[in-house]
Amino acid sequence: MKCQCAANPSDLSLLEPVLAEYADIKGSLITILQQAQEIYGYLPTDVISHIAERTGSTPARVLGVATFYTQFRFQPVGKYLIMLCDGTACHVNGSARIAAAVQEYLHVENGGTTEDGLFSFSIVACLGCCSLSPVMMINEDTYGSLTPAKVLEILKNIQTKEAAK
Amino acid sequence: MSIRIAVGKGSCGIAAGAAALSDALAPLLESSGISLGTVGCVGMCWLEPIVDIYENGLLKARLVHVQPEQAPMIAQAVKTGDFSVIDPLRITKEDHAFLEQQTRIALRNCGMIDPESIESALDAGSYQAIRKILSQENGMSPEDVIECVKISGLAGRGGAGFPTWFKWNAARNAAGDEKYLICNADEGDPGAFMDRAVIESDPHTLIEGMLIGAYAIGAQEAIVYVRAEYPLAIKRLEYAITEARAAGYIGKNILGSSFSCEFRIKAGAGAFVCGEETALIQSLQGQRGMPQLKPPFPAESGYWDKPSNINNVETYANVAWIINNGGEAFAAMGTEDSKGTKVFALTGKIQRGGLVEIPMGMTLRQVIFDIGGGIRDGGTFKAVQMGGPSGGCIPASLLDTVIDYKKLAATGAIMGSGGMVVMDDSTCMVSMAKFFLDFTAKESCGKCVHCRIGTKRLQEILTRIVAGEGKDGDIELLEELCHAVRDGALCGLGQTAPNPVLSTLRYFRDEFEAHIRDKRCPAHICTDLLHYEINAEQCKGCTACARKCPVYAISGIVKGPHSIDQSSCIRCGQCMATCKFGAVSVS
Amino acid sequence: MSQIHITINGVSCVCEEGASILHAAQQNGIEIPNLCNDDSVRVYGACGLCAVEVLDDGSGRAIPKLLRACSAKAMDGYVIRFDTERVNQSRKISLELLMSDHTGDCRGPCQLNCPAGTDCQGYVKKIAEGDFHGAIGIIKEKIPIPASIGRVCPHPCEQNCRRGMVEAPLSIAYLKAHAADRDLAADTYVPETTPDTGKHIAIVGGGPAGLTAAFDLRRKGHAVTIYDAAAQMGGMLRYGIPAYRLPKDLLAREINEIEKLGVAMQNNVRLGKDITLADLRSQNDAVILATGAWRSMQMRVKGEELDGVMGGIQFLHNISSGEGDIPDLSGKKVAVCGGGNTAMDACRTAIRCGAETVYVIYRRTRSEMPAEELEIEESIEEGVTYKFLTNPAEIIGTNGRVSQIRLQVMELGEPDASGRRSPIPVEGKFEVLDVDLVIMAIGQIPNVDGLDGVTLTKKGTIEADSATYLTNLPNVYAIGDATNRGASIAIEAIGEGGRCAAVVDSALRGDIKPYRTPFYSKKTVTPDNLADREKQPRCQMPVRPAAERAQDFAPVNLGLTDETAIQEARRCLECGCHDYHDCKLIRYAQQQEIHPERLDGVKNTHETERKLVCIERDNGKCILCGLCVRICDEVAKQGILGLLGRGFPTVIKPEFNRPEVIQICASCKKCAKACPTGALKIIG
Repeated sequence: MKCQCAANPSDLSLLEPVLAEYADIKGSLITILQQAQEIYGYLPTDVISHIAERTGSTPARVLGVATFYTQFRFQPVGKYLIMLCDGTACHVNGSARIAAAVQEYLHVENGGTTEDGLFSFSIVACLGCCSLSPVMMINEDTYGSLTPAKVLEILKNIQTKEAAK
Repeated sequence: MSIRIAVGKGSCGIAAGAAALSDALAPLLESSGISLGTVGCVGMCWLEPIVDIYENGLLKARLVHVQPEQAPMIAQAVKTGDFSVIDPLRITKEDHAFLEQQTRIALRNCGMIDPESIESALDAGSYQAIRKILSQENGMSPEDVIECVKISGLAGRGGAGFPTWFKWNAARNAAGDEKYLICNADEGDPGAFMDRAVIESDPHTLIEGMLIGAYAIGAQEAIVYVRAEYPLAIKRLEYAITEARAAGYIGKNILGSSFSCEFRIKAGAGAFVCGEETALIQSLQGQRGMPQLKPPFPAESGYWDKPSNINNVETYANVAWIINNGGEAFAAMGTEDSKGTKVFALTGKIQRGGLVEIPMGMTLRQVIFDIGGGIRDGGTFKAVQMGGPSGGCIPASLLDTVIDYKKLAATGAIMGSGGMVVMDDSTCMVSMAKFFLDFTAKESCGKCVHCRIGTKRLQEILTRIVAGEGKDGDIELLEELCHAVRDGALCGLGQTAPNPVLSTLRYFRDEFEAHIRDKRCPAHICTDLLHYEINAEQCKGCTACARKCPVYAISGIVKGPHSIDQSSCIRCGQCMATCKFGAVSVS
Repeated sequence: MSQIHITINGVSCVCEEGASILHAAQQNGIEIPNLCNDDSVRVYGACGLCAVEVLDDGSGRAIPKLLRACSAKAMDGYVIRFDTERVNQSRKISLELLMSDHTGDCRGPCQLNCPAGTDCQGYVKKIAEGDFHGAIGIIKEKIPIPASIGRVCPHPCEQNCRRGMVEAPLSIAYLKAHAADRDLAADTYVPETTPDTGKHIAIVGGGPAGLTAAFDLRRKGHAVTIYDAAAQMGGMLRYGIPAYRLPKDLLAREINEIEKLGVAMQNNVRLGKDITLADLRSQNDAVILATGAWRSMQMRVKGEELDGVMGGIQFLHNISSGEGDIPDLSGKKVAVCGGGNTAMDACRTAIRCGAETVYVIYRRTRSEMPAEELEIEESIEEGVTYKFLTNPAEIIGTNGRVSQIRLQVMELGEPDASGRRSPIPVEGKFEVLDVDLVIMAIGQIPNVDGLDGVTLTKKGTIEADSATYLTNLPNVYAIGDATNRGASIAIEAIGEGGRCAAVVDSALRGDIKPYRTPFYSKKTVTPDNLADREKQPRCQMPVRPAAERAQDFAPVNLGLTDETAIQEARRCLECGCHDYHDCKLIRYAQQQEIHPERLDGVKNTHETERKLVCIERDNGKCILCGLCVRICDEVAKQGILGLLGRGFPTVIKPEFNRPEVIQICASCKKCAKACPTGALKIIG
């Protein structure tokens, strides 16, 4: 499913195909939440309540599951989600310097989103590309062997591309 | 003469530019009769992107560090048959030795076959084992399979090293008709990526191993629980399942036998603790991934309270080979205690980092120095971290330790899932211990007291030590708390969380003491303990450092010696990195 | 189901096969500590408190790992212990970890600051409910003479009362006195006593320490005799405190209640003269020395030996033992040296004896005076003259009798170790006052006659162990003003009396249990936290006018009415945990010595919230055992509580903190009832 981050968080009908497929299959909550996040970009409160109702659960239970996993977000995220790996190899190879460069350049905290809504930044657990450490993913693309300069170039390229639109 | 070009496109290869390279090659080879294909990851990650050129099925050239702009050169070479133009891209003899010294079973097809083609897998021998088992004439009963695995000595490759046959046997003997076979592909150990590589590069080997397991225990459904952070692995596995189903290896009455098995993928959602089998089951059931008390063990009561067997990817990846070659062949490799091979992800400050599969019984020195080529950038080996947040650091004095479950455990580290992060003398071991406790504290599910609060307190004590605020008695407190958490935590995550602290305390106690007593970080890593100074005699007054300093802590006149105002210095080290005259020193 | 045999802590047990060790123990009446287990929901295994060690698995082998009793099944032949060093250590750390992230007050600051540990909040609540009888039951757990103590105690309980952050502390001491007065007036409370043990205890000294020890030991079934050198029991309360503060008949009635319980009281028996310590030891199973501190300390100035110089205690004792024979000081000038409560008693008594001028000589200023503020205030009203920043330098006599006192003028220097600014003489500056009587009230020391063989401290007090109260002699204990640091306030002596009684009782039952300061969880509260409280003024104790009361020894205070007392009691903020007596966490925590402060770190911070119909939730006290969530889910089938987040910051919340939740909650209260701590409070 393609991310439709601009989806109106109160438009519950977008969720209908997902619920139709999974609501009655027990144990599907995480799958439903993942797909809901694909649709809305995050998990809005109304969506959580709706999922709870349709799966015969309660919001407290659903929220309990959603808040347990780092994948789920409860605030809208930027168009580009930067996930910087802080696995052992990346850590040993200086991921902290990369984090500092991103944060300084974009003026964004770990877990935060830039004011223009273009980037969200998150330091994450090992992405499994240790040989290319330090590594980050921006949406589904992986970038390896990073240096502060290389990171800035990548970010600037995205900004240029976006500005051109 | 047929020529085939294969571009290595695992996630790392793609990140290194393999996709762009492939895109550049494709139009150049159009209507040339030369086929351009994809292979997975061969495990020589430091050489990515890698291009293999096969002539009549034989590897003619392996090119490394290939950039998209070199595509025309390659196209020209294959079209003209004059390979001399691409000689500079060929892998060196030394680098090639990395592979030659390995014995590949779990990784046997990785980087060799096209992961998105079942034909390619079949050509390489996939599904022969399940065919053998299910054959009408001389098939194998589930008991035969379990016996074969028992003879092989295969043990869980996810970390615990529990005999695989024993789990299978328990699940087989558990009451009930509805049983599940689960693959743990929630590879969360920072520094380990062999499971990702296997799924991305050779998904059919996993599927076949799981089919055999399902047959052995009597399961009708097999589920793969994969990390959501591995989108490519999920995609390729999904495709492989589709192909395998179409080919009759998945579904009802497989290969015309009475054995039926369905496959499903479940994506994890980001929780390291779900690598623990009871937590994984909770997560599969759509619940919070909190570990459950054992007993009951999953073999009796697991997924939906039904008998379930869980193994990790690498374990299953060995199974078909064992069936094909016999348990004895597998058991012939290794040591008294540990049989067969083990895959390691060699990373960190290593010359040649990548996936290494070796027979048990090699020494750490052989893996790190002979295969991995030793420390990169001229550094000195300090320690190797094994087993991630559940493991420990092994110092140089123990480099001749033999790789086997017991011998590694004796050092205070563990075999773990095979992460091997090599560290040189620029690594602060206290800060490493803190890094792992940061990790476990963040990943603790919060259920049991020892892990929820204990790892938090351990992390806090380590934090104050690296910040230069360590107190007398902190080492003893760390030790006491470590032992308590190890004994008291509910699951493996908590029970092993103290290992990184205990093992660093065991081998690098002096570094802890230096931080606490002398407020000094011997590796010059802990910024709060650093002190930068400009040597007036060496300073040329070029002002570069003063301009670079983010907090304007450096002053001085042009062409005159500069100095650092220590009260405003944030110890970022930019001055030192900037100075061309070596005038800035750190202590 | 067949039966199996196991041993738990040395006790042979029989249980059903398949039972968990926890259940097996329960079936045999043994409680293995646990916090997260409840039979109505599935086992969870979070708290780790139920760890047990299996020393023999039936085949002669020990199980190397500790087992969680809630999930491990009991197997035939298991030899289980949960009192081994290893298990205790494990449980201790579990509790320390839990407490290191536990934010709450087990007990209010009033109780924590009371030297006797009186449950002030408990009895104030009873008073607020108009239940004076119930209040006395709680008070007498610690104080056998509350009417007296309520009048004389400088009430440390009020010092840290958080009501003080709103407007003024609660008037706890007067509430106690009021409840006690009501109790004495009718239907006097009689505590229960346990059956006689046949043990005999001699207590030397019938002051607050001795009386309390006697009261407590008698309640525990021991035969107790108090010996006192004076004609009446009561010690300093009887002979040191003037009647205008504590009417003698009131004290006598309270002592009478103790006597009625069966405590034998022998007056006019002086140790070393009428009876020896050796006699007491041979005739009793234990001897408690509670002889007090009756000698006034010397000032070590020239002229101290003159006629007309006397100790404060001697002065007060002479008057109170004179039974109405009050000396006539009319026209006389009196100098009282000292700034403590004895000095106050002496100066105000001197006024009542008709003295023309009464000086209080004190070397610091008013704000440094250890005496109670109210006493100073009332003494000034009654006409006492204060000579601050002066110190006696010489007492000048004429014909062997005091005629003048020369005072060194002082000034305040740097603060000393205790934080008080120490007085320094201003060189060459003196003042001379004409006086007829000089009363030294700068402290008291014990009289140690008759204490043959008892080791003394350098200060000349009896050396007693701070945890067992034992002296160097076996079975001889010592408490109160006569011991260690020396004289202090009555409630200190009462506290020691009670704690010593518990130690003696345990010793007489064969297993001496030294006193250990119990662990309490505490939290910090600032005025900001209480900003929303409505201000309600502190009650005023009605007093007789100064001019009238200065003439006689009748009580200054007129007493509270029931209405005022109830209204005052309702001001209580109830700082201590409502669940203290039922809280499993604190019960286990106090069973062993824990030091969570060594694991101090970040604590989760939470606001108390009232989200469910009848339940107030205080997440600071939540230990994440998950019982409420599980019960709401599995038993009540509501699922309106959830665990949110993971790891250390995990928190239990009703869904989205939405008001609708209040309607969904079935008010079954099962969650609150199952909560092992005070995190959930039923409020309606």
